[in-house]
Amino acid sequence: MSVYSELRAKANEAWQAVETPPRPRIAVGITTCSRAQGADETLAAIRRELAQRNLDVDVVVTGCWGLCYAEPMLEIAKPSGQRVLYQQVTADRVPQLIGEALDGEGVCGVLALAAVGPTPVQGLPSFESLHVITLQTRRLMANCGVIEPESIDQYIGRGGYEGVAQALTMPSEGVIKEVTDAGLWGRGGAAFPTGRKWDFLRGSKNQPKYMVCNADEGDPGSFVNRTLMESDPHLIIEGMAVGGYACGASKGYVYIREEYPLCAERMRVAIGQARERGLLGLDVLGSGFSFDIEVVRGAGSYVCGEETGLIASIEDRRGMPKIRPPFPAQAGVFAKPTNVNNVETYANVPLIMRHGAPWYATMGTEKNKGTKMFSLSGHVQRVAVLEVPFGMPLRRLIDACGGLAEGRTLKAIQPGGPLGGIINAEHVDIPLEPEPFREQGALLGSGGLVIFDDTACVIDMCLYFEWFAEDESCARCTTCHGGTQRMVEILRRIANGRGRSSDKEMLRLLGDTLRWSNCAHGTAAPTVVLNTLNAFSEEYREHVEGRRCPAKVCRGLVRYEISGPSPNLPAAAAICPTAAIVEKGDEYVIDQGLCIKCDACRELAPEAVRVVDALAPAGVAAGEQQAS
Amino acid sequence: MTETAKGPPELQELVADVKPDNADLLAVFHRIQEALGYVPREAVPVLAAKLRTTPAKVFGVLSFYSEIRTEPPPRLTISWCSGPACRLKGSENIRRALESIIGVELGESTPDLALGLRPVQCDGTCALAPLVRLNDRPRGPLTVAEAIRLARELRESGGNGRQA
Repeated sequence: MSVYSELRAKANEAWQAVETPPRPRIAVGITTCSRAQGADETLAAIRRELAQRNLDVDVVVTGCWGLCYAEPMLEIAKPSGQRVLYQQVTADRVPQLIGEALDGEGVCGVLALAAVGPTPVQGLPSFESLHVITLQTRRLMANCGVIEPESIDQYIGRGGYEGVAQALTMPSEGVIKEVTDAGLWGRGGAAFPTGRKWDFLRGSKNQPKYMVCNADEGDPGSFVNRTLMESDPHLIIEGMAVGGYACGASKGYVYIREEYPLCAERMRVAIGQARERGLLGLDVLGSGFSFDIEVVRGAGSYVCGEETGLIASIEDRRGMPKIRPPFPAQAGVFAKPTNVNNVETYANVPLIMRHGAPWYATMGTEKNKGTKMFSLSGHVQRVAVLEVPFGMPLRRLIDACGGLAEGRTLKAIQPGGPLGGIINAEHVDIPLEPEPFREQGALLGSGGLVIFDDTACVIDMCLYFEWFAEDESCARCTTCHGGTQRMVEILRRIANGRGRSSDKEMLRLLGDTLRWSNCAHGTAAPTVVLNTLNAFSEEYREHVEGRRCPAKVCRGLVRYEISGPSPNLPAAAAICPTAAIVEKGDEYVIDQGLCIKCDACRELAPEAVRVVDALAPAGVAAGEQQAS
Repeated sequence: MTETAKGPPELQELVADVKPDNADLLAVFHRIQEALGYVPREAVPVLAAKLRTTPAKVFGVLSFYSEIRTEPPPRLTISWCSGPACRLKGSENIRRALESIIGVELGESTPDLALGLRPVQCDGTCALAPLVRLNDRPRGPLTVAEAIRLARELRESGGNGRQA
């Protein structure tokens, strides 16, 4: 019996115990998302409640099902095979849940979301039939929410580390060929073929070589890598080990951003377990191949997501990107040959090794094989993480996430993080793969999709994205540092109602100049402005020539006014942070010198406070006066 | 040099296993910050000696990363999420209100170090947008009025209230 099959035999038992639990088992999803919504308190309340009722129930911690809107989530599995997923189980709902769900074969109807596993449950939809799930193919996420992320046995019991065992029986060029044949390309945004990248490193003579995992998922609105690391950390470790074997690397680094402490914790635990089982360290699975991994935590720097910046950060230096060449495959970490891939890229590798390239390529499109994870946030009703085959129309993901709020219309979609551009809603049927996004002057990016409805102002969001680019510029090259700064100044001027007719041309000029920056941060920084100048030219025109913000967001272009009497006005006056709402005789007025336009008064007295164009031509303002 | 390179004993313990070319510097910054709340200036020459480099290089790294503090933190930090989902849902309005009530701008603390306002990056808890964190405990989705009430309560209690 091989070393792996011994491990597998033991792990199968552990997985069996999960599938057919000897006593009821409550699995609480503990992740960054669920914690933010009270999952720790839920877990504590469950333990308390079970102790009080003296119930013999196992309580375990699992990962994320990808339904952020339904957190805190938990699963209750029973010896009968009944497995039910519950949603929004806050601590105060625990007594009811325990009372009803642990009463024999009972189900707590108000909190139940779906039945999981093969056993149907009366009156409940199956997990697979949920609207948010039907369009998905969960390959990378197959274990997410299902297994305990801190149990290596459950991972192995579900087929884990078979990919490494398989790779070790093959010549290293065979492994690279398999990855190449599968058509895998880098998921971090650049979409470079993984097999080719690995071949560069394999061909490098220098030693030692490093495999680096870029887990610096810095794009605001992207949280697909976080989901994987928190829910299935071994999948990434296995992918790195396969890569290490294929390229002849002996050491790996996982560079995790500061904002993801739980990812760092779970990856460290998983690395420790893999070492104990002989899956990392000296002589992996008795093959003679040695490979170990270390976690490095970032400290708050977006450009460390750029591979040369990341390498500098690992080397104890300022995380400033370098000029390539030399490429990391020649001189990376500590000037040694290095390969950098994204978390999701590595996560694909074990699946390719386990099932083969032909299986892998059954999903996706002609040019883009496999599946991709996306996180949807912004103006969708349900924030979620989804995994779909490449080529899926974007609209279907928005629908799956419950669409927009009642009465709102879709305005735009922002893919690929702050450097990815903004797509006009008219292209909502765009297939999710890199080429069509490039045609729109945008980037598909690493998986974040931020949805804007008609309350969003494109200028305001451009200002935000350029501010972000400026703030995170490493300042090595003035092109990027000064260019983004200048863009922010111009956008701020436009948002403040002082836009000039030459501004659009100036922004284009700056954008063209920024394309000459040293690294991808600077070259991609103007994407959002350049593509919205075309995709939303009318909105620029309104701001610059009309001096009005159609969405009434830009602070310098709006004014708050009291439009009439209301019993809510005293409360609105009281909430005002600057005491700008003053009583004059028997009516209230807003002192425009004090008003900071924070919108709190309108929240409390929507019928009596209105937002008007501050600078629009006289005719328009007069028209509005009459209408009120 | 040898005098300053020693630093306080607690610091010596925290930096004991730091080696050059071993990806240790960020890790030790985190460790010092967890122990002391921030990375004091005295740590710079100590670490430079350990890493066999110059204090300027160490300080360069220290000042590069936004999540490493070089000043003692306030009693209560209000972390304001700067992410796109929060912004779409009115986080700029919340920021204006918080700055106005606390009396400091983003990135600053009150002179008595009771309260601080800090911008943070999106960590993907967008289901709670717009949100703030009170010493890492998330609060959201917040209306502007709720944020104002929260900030007033925290200002009254000097960062010690039940909200904290």
